Amino acid sequence: MRLPAALGLKKATAGRRVVSPRGPVNSGLRGGVASRVITPWDWIFAPALMSFALSIVLATPFKLFGLYLPEPVSPLILAFAWPLIRPSFIAPFVLGALGLFLDAFWGAPMGFWMLDLMLVYGVLLMARSYIIGQDTVVVFGIFLLAELLFFLFGVLAMSLYAGAVPRLWGVFEQMIATTLLFPFALILLDRYVQTDVKFM
Amino acid sequence: MAYGDNNRHFEHLRLPMTWTVMGVVGVICVGALLMFLGDRRHQDEATAYGDRAGFDAAAGPVNNVLSFPVHKIGDGANWIDDYFFAVRENRLLKKKVAELSQYRDDYIELKDLNARYESLLKLRTDPPVEMVTARSVSVSRGPFANNRLINAGSKDGIRFNNPVMTDQGLVGRVVGVSGQVSRVLMVTDVTSHVPVMILRSDGRAMMSGDGGGYPKLEFVRGQDTVKQGDQILSSGDGGIFPRGLPVGEAVKGVDGVWRVKLYANRAPIDFVKVLLYKDFSQLPNADTLLRAPPVSDVLPPPAAPDSKTSASSSSVAAKPVSASTPAPVKTVAVSSSSASKTPLVKPSPVKPVAASSSGSHSASSSHVAASHAVSSSTPSQPVAPVLKPYVPPAASSGGEGAN
Repeated sequence: MRLPAALGLKKATAGRRVVSPRGPVNSGLRGGVASRVITPWDWIFAPALMSFALSIVLATPFKLFGLYLPEPVSPLILAFAWPLIRPSFIAPFVLGALGLFLDAFWGAPMGFWMLDLMLVYGVLLMARSYIIGQDTVVVFGIFLLAELLFFLFGVLAMSLYAGAVPRLWGVFEQMIATTLLFPFALILLDRYVQTDVKFM
Repeated sequence: MAYGDNNRHFEHLRLPMTWTVMGVVGVICVGALLMFLGDRRHQDEATAYGDRAGFDAAAGPVNNVLSFPVHKIGDGANWIDDYFFAVRENRLLKKKVAELSQYRDDYIELKDLNARYESLLKLRTDPPVEMVTARSVSVSRGPFANNRLINAGSKDGIRFNNPVMTDQGLVGRVVGVSGQVSRVLMVTDVTSHVPVMILRSDGRAMMSGDGGGYPKLEFVRGQDTVKQGDQILSSGDGGIFPRGLPVGEAVKGVDGVWRVKLYANRAPIDFVKVLLYKDFSQLPNADTLLRAPPVSDVLPPPAAPDSKTSASSSSVAAKPVSASTPAPVKTVAVSSSSASKTPLVKPSPVKPVAASSSGSHSASSSHVAASHAVSSSTPSQPVAPVLKPYVPPAASSGGEGAN
C-alpha cells in the first residue's frame, strides 16, 4: 500500500536502498535531475481530507477555560494554495465539494461557502503568474487580501440573504482564526512549488 | 496494431490550461449560485432543511468519533479544574444553598396558593409539555451560521420547530430532523427571530440574532419598556415557542441597541431539553376550523310572501337568500342583518322592500314590514321616493324591538 507523502507517512527505509515506488517515470533520469513525482492524492486529496477532519474536530461543543474552540475556514487555505501550485481540473471540484460540505455541516445556505471558495480560487488562478516567486511577506499580504475578499463576499451575500448584517466582530474573529492556518499554506507552497517536483 | 487501439486520440490537442480551468471554475460557480439563490433556510418551513437530513444523520456519528479525543481532553481539563477549585466552589455552593432554601419554601407555598386560585377561577391552564433530553454533538458558531446537531431525532418524537433549551434558558428551535439526529437553529443565528416579552413592563419585542452571543431586541414599543437587567421571556406569539420560557436579561450594547444576555450562555451547552411542544394552531382540527358554513345556513330564512302580494313579489320572497340572489332580495337580507345598529334614514328607493324592513326584528317582524311595504305599492306603476325619515314600525307600535 502506498502511503500518502503529504501526510508525512513514509515506509521505513533504514538500511535499504531507496527505490522510487512510483514506477518508471524517473527511471530514465540521472540522479542529479530526478524529481519527485506528485500525484493528486499528495497535493489535493490528502490536504482536503485534513481540512475536512479539522472542520469536524473543531466543531466539537467543548469549552476550555471558558473559551470555545476556534472556527477557522480551513478550506480557504486550499483555495489559496492550490491555484498557486498549478492549474488543475480536479482541484476546483474538490474545493467545491469541501464548500458544499461546509454548507451542510455548518448549516449555512447551500452554495454559500462553495461560491465563496470558488471566487477566491478563480481570482488567484487569474493572478497566479504575478504571485509565484514572490517573497513570503508578499505572499502573506496577498493571502490577507484574498481572505478579506472572501469574508467581504460572505458578509455581503449573507446580508442579502438574511436581510441583516452579521456581527462584524465575529467575522473578524473568524478571520484571525483562519489567518493562524497560513503556515499550512506556506508548507503546501514550499513543498509543491519551490522544490523540484513533477506532477502526474 | 489497429488505429486507435492505444486510446490516445487527443494527445496532440493542446488546450490553454488556465483558461480551461477557469471555465470549470465558472461552471461550478454558476451551480453554487443557483443553489444559493434557491436555498430557503431562512423560511419557516420543514422542507427547507429536508434535503440535509441524510447528511445530518451521517455527520452526527462521524463527529462523535472524530471529537472523541477532544472530549477526553475536555474531561481532563475539567477534572483539573474541579480538583484545584473544589474548596472555593464548595464555599460558594453552601452560600447559595442557604440563600435558595428560603426561596424554595416560598415557592412551595405560592405554588399551592396558585393551584387553589386556578381551581377556584376554573382557569384553563396550559397542559404540561413533554421533553426529550439530548446531547449536543457538534456546533457551528461562526458569524454566518449558528447551529447545533443533537443526538435525538424523529424516533424520539422530535418534530420541526420544537423549542430547545438548557436548564438555564432558551437555546433555539429544531429546524431539521432525521431519525436520530436533529439540527437546532440557535437564537443567535442571523436568520433567527424570536418573539419575546419584557417581564417587568409586559412589553413585546422581537429578538433577532446577528451571529454573536448577544441577540438584538427589535421593534420595542413605548418609552421605558426596557431597562437594564429586565428579564426577557418568550412571549408565545406566533405559536412556535410557548409563553414564559426564560431567555435572558436586557443589556444595552455599545452601539446603543438593546440586546439580550442569554441565560443559556451561563454554562456550556452540552445537554439540552427538546420541548415536544405543539403549536397552538395544531391543536384544533384545522379543517373544521376553517370550513365556514354557507351564508344561507347562518342567516334567518327569507320572509314568506303575503298571499295578496305573492303575484307581485314572488320573485322577491320565494327565492332563497344567497350570493346570486337578485338585487332587491339581497337588499332585504343585508338590511335585516345590519340595520339594528344603523337604522336607515335614507328615502326608500323605487323598490321599497329594502327601506322598510328592520333588522332588529326577527324573521316574522321583517316579514310584516316587508309585506306592508310591498302591499302599499303597485307593481305596475313606478313609485316616487318618499323623503321621510325612517320610523321602525315596531317603535311606533310601542317600542318593541328597539334594541
